[in-house]
Amino acid sequence: MNATENRVTKLVQKEYEHGFTTELETDTLPPGLSEETIRQISARKNEPEWLLEARLKAYRHWLNMSDPEWAHVKHPPIDYQAISYYSAPKKRGKGPKSLDEVDPALIAAYHKLGIPLQEQKALAGVAVDAVFDSVSIATTFREPLAKAGVIFCSFSEAVQDHPDLVRSYFGSVVPYTDNYYACLNAAVFSDGTFVYIPKGVRCPMELSTYFRINEANTGQFERTLIVAEAGSYVSYLEGCTAPKRDDNQLHAAVVELVALADARIKYSTVQNWYPGDAEGRGGIYNFVTKRGDCRGDRSHISWTQVETGSAITWKYPSCILRGDGARGEFYSVAVTRGSQQADTGTKMIHMGRNTKSTIVSKGISAGLGQNTYRGLVRMTPKAENARNHTQCDSLLIGDKCGAHTFPYIEVKNPSAKVEHEATTSRIGDDQLFYCRQRGLSEENAVSMIVNGFCKEVFRELPMEFAVEAQKLLDLTLEGAVG
Amino acid sequence: MITAAQQSDWLLHHLSQSAGNLPGRGLAWLENLRREAARSVAQLPVLNRKQESWRYTSIDSLLQQRFITAGADIGGLENLDISRWMLPGLDAYRLVLVNGRCLPSPASSADLPEGVVLGSLRTALATDPDRLSAWFVRNSGRSDNLFTALNSALINDGALLHVGTDVVLDKPIEILHLHLGHERPLLVQPRNLLVLEPGSGVTLVERAIGADSSAAFHNHLTEIYLSAGASLDHYRLQDENQRSHHLCTLFLSQQEQSRYRGTHLSFGGVWARTDCHALLQQPGGECEINGLYTVGDEQLKDIHLRVHHAAPRCTSRERFKGILHGEGRAVFDGHIIVDRGAQGSDAQLRNDNLMLTRSAEVDTKPQLEIYADDVKCSHGTTVGEVDPAQLFYLRSRGIDKAQALSMLSLGFAAEISNGIRLNALRSYLAQRLARKLGGQTDASGMDSGNV
Repeated sequence: MNATENRVTKLVQKEYEHGFTTELETDTLPPGLSEETIRQISARKNEPEWLLEARLKAYRHWLNMSDPEWAHVKHPPIDYQAISYYSAPKKRGKGPKSLDEVDPALIAAYHKLGIPLQEQKALAGVAVDAVFDSVSIATTFREPLAKAGVIFCSFSEAVQDHPDLVRSYFGSVVPYTDNYYACLNAAVFSDGTFVYIPKGVRCPMELSTYFRINEANTGQFERTLIVAEAGSYVSYLEGCTAPKRDDNQLHAAVVELVALADARIKYSTVQNWYPGDAEGRGGIYNFVTKRGDCRGDRSHISWTQVETGSAITWKYPSCILRGDGARGEFYSVAVTRGSQQADTGTKMIHMGRNTKSTIVSKGISAGLGQNTYRGLVRMTPKAENARNHTQCDSLLIGDKCGAHTFPYIEVKNPSAKVEHEATTSRIGDDQLFYCRQRGLSEENAVSMIVNGFCKEVFRELPMEFAVEAQKLLDLTLEGAVG
Repeated sequence: MITAAQQSDWLLHHLSQSAGNLPGRGLAWLENLRREAARSVAQLPVLNRKQESWRYTSIDSLLQQRFITAGADIGGLENLDISRWMLPGLDAYRLVLVNGRCLPSPASSADLPEGVVLGSLRTALATDPDRLSAWFVRNSGRSDNLFTALNSALINDGALLHVGTDVVLDKPIEILHLHLGHERPLLVQPRNLLVLEPGSGVTLVERAIGADSSAAFHNHLTEIYLSAGASLDHYRLQDENQRSHHLCTLFLSQQEQSRYRGTHLSFGGVWARTDCHALLQQPGGECEINGLYTVGDEQLKDIHLRVHHAAPRCTSRERFKGILHGEGRAVFDGHIIVDRGAQGSDAQLRNDNLMLTRSAEVDTKPQLEIYADDVKCSHGTTVGEVDPAQLFYLRSRGIDKAQALSMLSLGFAAEISNGIRLNALRSYLAQRLARKLGGQTDASGMDSGNV
């Protein structure tokens, strides 16, 4: 056990690998939140009147809400007036027309993070809409996508270029009244991604956005909207890292997915934001609302997430299974170490007949980490022959961490079948012994066992991400186990 | 949704109408306990759906009723013939409470072995208050909701069982909670105290039944202290009439190597709730809580378990099964907490529900909260209907549908009923279930299937 403790200490002391900041001139609003702030954000982005109205409506509603307290996380109260709600890299002239015109310092920052836009273009065939703080600065692969009729652009561009599309889907999955952070987002969202896949189109490549929080005290209020028309398919990848900062940074994003009949959306996330120092100071607060709406018959949405970063993660990617035969999936690996806290899970709302959902959640806690699965499975009276299977497993590494499971199951239809299983344990001594006596070092043995533990989720990730995720997991747990 | 004002009005109404005539005046600790509970009114959480453990339970209709507090007087009941409510075929020591007040001991408990006290709390308050204070004082601060506060503020009578060191009872004990007709709905609030000294062992059967069709609100509070090595087999059967509400709050605290084995059977009442708080305080405790509940039309069965592993190497098993045969609702909320340092904990939680009708609802929430790594914890839950293949098998052998459903339901319940070690209770349960399911299974509800 001593060796474990030493390793845990070592791990906790490990510096955050992506902890650097980029010096860059930015156009930032002073901290503070008022109607005026919102008008300014809206004006800078040259938004139409209806969007400003929507923002103000959300803001007024938000003023009457209070912070949610039900999550199994602890943090000091957030001072919403101390946050700056807008930060955009300063534009030269009218803005970059190609990558060459993008601020070289920015490009260098991406290189440091291992996201070479150019290379990725050529090598991975992944189109990247990189978000630097709050404004998308470069979008690649626009043309081949345009040929297929796919729209893949920043949210603010979409507001300018496709206002009708945005207007008809914006807030239709996550209304501004949904919850505290979603409401805040609806009022102050800065930018994000908009994806539209036309009827019957299989998106020719995997779409990817890298988020990066850069400016201190700047909340990141992303807004992502993905619409998949009937019979279409898209796989979307989201990954993020953030530079080291002392102040807590609030991230309250909203992701809305709309899948029409026979459409399929695959949404994958690797999240590795700065988790804070040994006491959990300075890490990112990741309060995200993600929801997918399976509107048509047989539409299919799957969420896959690997959560290793953030001081606090508060995130429940959900599916509303409205159409008959719709499917929802949730695969998650959440790792907490140091003083990280994660309260994550999913909601599966079965409304259509023969709807199916699968939940696989793997939680790993080390150090002082607190890991919570919180999920809801609801079978409404119309969900004839609906099925759900839930499996939540927790792995504890060290005697000071916590693993919690809070599933909610509500069944109003007798033909629906719901199964929920959960286990919590540490790595078995017998498993370790078996590996050790075959000559594996303790660390390798643990790494192998942990990877095996997460395999069910990793195999759902797109190939590039699966490799990254595995590496990230090894890195995160390096020395933490024994 | 109820408000703080509604809730405190309701509580104050019941406190004021029965302030006088409580026993134990002059006992500082008791007066203190009552006063604290009454004072806490303002700080009590409002029991609406924003309270996690009341999320699926609406008490609006209950709070609209005003009850009259029972128990001021049991005159005329001494000669009540209770034999017809006793569990048939059970040879037991007995204690009977009517409307929350103990009847003078029936003859069968006269021959209790030495070292065993079975009787009225009210009597003990008069004859042996010092001993009671030692147990009651431990309970401070537990009036944490409307109903426990109400019970504590009006402590009057209840069952008291004290089993001395190393005494193992040869026969089970039956405690019968009856309520008897009043024109207005009664508030029945026994305060029960069960103390088992080291090495003692008891089998206890508690039954709460309505003796007639009058309405009542049973607000029981039971405290159980199991000392080192003590063992309690506890059967609770709740089966009031359809107009009654029943809430039983149970605090269990277990010392080293003690064993609690509870079987909670819940059939009656419009709303029946069990709030069970088990605390495994010392190493090596074993706690097993099994349960079976049926839900008919307009019934709400509400089970809340909180098993707290505060010491290393304790074992807990919770297994509850529900059969929904009417348009009612079942709520199951199980919660296992393993403290930091409670290494070697082994906990399992299961809840299975069988839905026989279309309009039933199940809300289940099996939770784990774990702060230690060397643990084995699991929970599982299922909700579903009768397997059509099983039904088809029985029907193809000439068994009619209602009968087949009843058989399958009894089979589903067998895991719990077979664990009952008292033959008398097991056969009583089998009859009770058959009657409940045989008559009420909604055959029309199953027609969506292929049979």
